[in-house]
Amino acid sequence: MSTDKNDNKIKILVIEDDPVITEFLCTGLRYEGYEVTPRTTGKAGLDALQQATFDLIILDVMLPDIDGFEVCQHIRNHASNIPILMLTVKKAISDRVRGLDSGADDYMTKPFSFDELLARIRALLRRSGRIHESKRLQAGAIVLDLQTREVTKDGKKINLTPTEFGLLELFMRHPHRVFTRETLLNRVLGYDYDGGTNIIDVHISHLRSKLGDRPPRLIRTIYAVGYAFYPEETST
Amino acid sequence: MRAWDKLSLRARLGLLYTVLLVFSVVLVGCYSYWNIWQLFISNKSSQLRARAKPIIEHWLIDNDLANSDNPHLKLNPQKAFILARDLTSRDTVAIVLNQKGDIIANGKRLPEEPEAPTPDKHYLRRALAGENEVTYRSQVNGKPVLVLLIPLRPQPASPRIFGVIQMSTLLTDIREILFHHGAMLVSLVAIILILGIGTGFWLIGASLKDLQVLLVSCDQISKGNLSQRVSVKNHRDEISRLAVSFNRMIEKLEATFASQQRFVANAAHELMTPLTGLRGSLEVLLRGAQDDPSAMARLSKGMYREVNRLIRLCEQLLGLSQLESSSNVNKQPIVLSEFFNEFKADAQVLAGGRSLTIQQGPCVKVSADPDLLKQILLNLLSNALRYSPSETPVVIGWKLVVGEVEIWVSDQGQGMDAETLSHAFEPFYQGKNTVVSGDKGIGLGLSLAKSMVEAQGGMIRIESEPGKGTTVSFTLPLK
Ligand SMILES: Nc1ncnc2c1ncn2[C@@H]1O[C@H](COP(=O)(O)OP(=O)(O)OP(=O)(O)O)[C@@H](O)[C@H]1O
Ligand SMILES: [Mg+2]
Repeated sequence: MSTDKNDNKIKILVIEDDPVITEFLCTGLRYEGYEVTPRTTGKAGLDALQQATFDLIILDVMLPDIDGFEVCQHIRNHASNIPILMLTVKKAISDRVRGLDSGADDYMTKPFSFDELLARIRALLRRSGRIHESKRLQAGAIVLDLQTREVTKDGKKINLTPTEFGLLELFMRHPHRVFTRETLLNRVLGYDYDGGTNIIDVHISHLRSKLGDRPPRLIRTIYAVGYAFYPEETST
Repeated sequence: MRAWDKLSLRARLGLLYTVLLVFSVVLVGCYSYWNIWQLFISNKSSQLRARAKPIIEHWLIDNDLANSDNPHLKLNPQKAFILARDLTSRDTVAIVLNQKGDIIANGKRLPEEPEAPTPDKHYLRRALAGENEVTYRSQVNGKPVLVLLIPLRPQPASPRIFGVIQMSTLLTDIREILFHHGAMLVSLVAIILILGIGTGFWLIGASLKDLQVLLVSCDQISKGNLSQRVSVKNHRDEISRLAVSFNRMIEKLEATFASQQRFVANAAHELMTPLTGLRGSLEVLLRGAQDDPSAMARLSKGMYREVNRLIRLCEQLLGLSQLESSSNVNKQPIVLSEFFNEFKADAQVLAGGRSLTIQQGPCVKVSADPDLLKQILLNLLSNALRYSPSETPVVIGWKLVVGEVEIWVSDQGQGMDAETLSHAFEPFYQGKNTVVSGDKGIGLGLSLAKSMVEAQGGMIRIESEPGKGTTVSFTLPLK
C-alpha cells in the first residue's frame, strides 16, 4: 500500500478490457501512490468521466464496444484537456498518427515496460501542470539533487556510488514505506540481477556510514523484513 | 560448342540467320552468274553458226560439191582457203581440216585477225564422227576463245563428211560484259546482305525485347519486389503469353504472401496481449507487490490465465499448420450414434452445469477422422456456450442430406450480425459479441473448424439471426 500521506492523490482512469492488464496496472499504479479507477468498456469509461474528475486517462485502443480513437475524440470534443495515454498492440506508424490526431498526448505499444509507463505518466502530468516535481528531494538535513545527482548533508557534499544514490532516492521518495531486500534489489540493481540479497545489506551499511547515520537511524532495519526510511521530523 | 553455348539467344539466332542468308544469297548469285555465262555462249555460238551457214552453202554450190557423189572427194586447199577466208572476220578465225584432221587452210591473213587455236583431237573426232554442233572453250595465248566445229557435208542430211571447219572467236568482250555483270551482282549481294543482316538483327532484337523485359522483371521479383509486373505490348506471341501467365503467377504468389503476412501479424498481435499482461504483472511484482500476499495472489492468477491463453493459442496455431498437409488426416468409418455416446462426456465437461442435448439422428456411418471431428464439435460447442446465456439450451444433432451427413450445433444466444457472419471464418476475426460465459477467445475457433471440415471433404456453413440464435452445420461424406 502507498505510504503517501498526501490526500489529494493523482487520479487515473484506466480504460482497458483485458482483465490481467487492468489488474497489474491498478496494482502497480496504486503502489506508486496514484488513485486508480478501472473501466472495461469505452462507454463505462465515458460515464466515469462524467461522474468524477481525473488527472490522466490510460486508454486501450482495442475496446469491445467503442474504438479507443473514438473515445479519445469524444473526450476531446467535450473540451477536456486531460492528458490521454493510449495503449495499443499495433506498431503501424499510421496508427500512431491516428492516435495523436484523435487527441491522445502519448502513445505506448504493447508489451510495454511498466517503468517506462510510469515515466511517461510522470512526464504527462508534469507537462499538464498537475504535479510540480521538484528537481530536489529534501529530508531534514539531507538534500538530493536529481539533476546533478549530488547529495549534501548540512551543506556538505557526500560522494555516493550510483547504487547508493538509487537506494537513497527510493527511500526519500517513499518515506516510512517498508522495502524488502528483494524489492530493493530489483528496484536498484534491475530485475535481472542474479546475486543474493546480502549485497543490499552491504550497500545499506555503506550508505549509512557515508550519511553519518547513528541510532535512532534514518534508515532503519525492520526485523525479518527489510528496511524503511524515517526522515528527521525536525525539518528546517 | 562451348563458345556457342555462351552466346546470348539473340546472338545465336542472329548468327544462324546470317549464315543462312549469306549461303542462300551467294548460291543464287553464283547460279545467276553461271546462267548468264551459258546464255552468252549459246548466243554467240548460234550467231556464228547463223553467219556460217549461208556462206558454207554458197561455197558448196560454187564449187559443185553440193551434188557430188564422189566418195573419195578430196578438198582442194585453194578452195578450202576461200571458205576459211570468207568465214574469218575481225574477231573470228576459221580453219579447214580434212577427213584425217590435218589443217589444210587457215583463214587468218591480217595481223589484227585472231589466232586460231590448235584443234583439239577429242572434239575433232566427235565432229568427224558426224556430231553437228560441237562447241567448246579453249585458250589462245592465255585468252579465252569459243571454238565451233562444223562438219562439211555435200548436203545437210548427207552422212558423208569430207572435212571440218573450226571457227573460233575471242571471248574477251563477253568476259568484259560478264565482269561488269558480276561486279553488279556482287554489289547487289553485298547490299542485300547488309540490309538483310541489319533488319534481321533488328527484327530478332525487337521480338526478343519482351524477353529482355521479362528477364529484368524476374530479376527484380527475385530480389523481393513482388509488386512488380511485366508489361508487354499486346502481341499474341509466345513471349507475351508467357508474360501474361507469369504475371498471373506472381499475382497469386503476392496474394498468398499477403495473407501469410496478415496471418503472422495477427498471430503476433494475439501473442502480444497475453505477453503484455505477463510482463506487466511480473514487473509490478518485482517492484515490490510481491511483499503483499493479496496482490501476489491476484497477479499470479492473472499470469496463470495468460500463460494458459498462450498455450491455447500455440496449440491452435499448430493445429492449423498440421492441417496444411492432408497426410495428418486419418479417415476411418465412424458410426455416429456410437461416437456421440462417447462425445457426450467431454461435451458435458465443457458445458459445466448448462443444458446440453444430443439429438440422435438416423443410424449412419461416416468416413472421418475421429480426433478432428471431436475438435470441430468442441470448438462449435464452446462458441455456442460462450455466446448464449446460460439458461438457454444448446443442441447438437445430425441428419441425412443427399449423399452426405450434416451435423449441426445450435444455440439460442445473441446470434451474429451481418458483418460478423461474413468474416467469422477468417483467422483471428472476432465479432463484437459480448462473451456471456468463460474467457475471451482468440478468433481461431471457426477458421480451425472450417479447415478441419474441409480436410475431411466436407463443407461448413452458419445460419444466424441476431437475437435469435446460431446454428453451425457441416457435412461429412457417408461411408
Ligand atoms: N455461436 C455463436 N453465436 C454468436 N456469435 C458467434 C458464435 N460463434 C462464433 N461467433 C462469433 O464469431 C467470432 C469468431 O468465432 P471463433 O470461434 O472463430 O473465435 P472466438 O470464439 O472468438 O475465439 P476462439 O474460438 O479462438 O477461442 C466470435 O468472436 C463471435 O463473435
Ligand atoms: Mg470460438
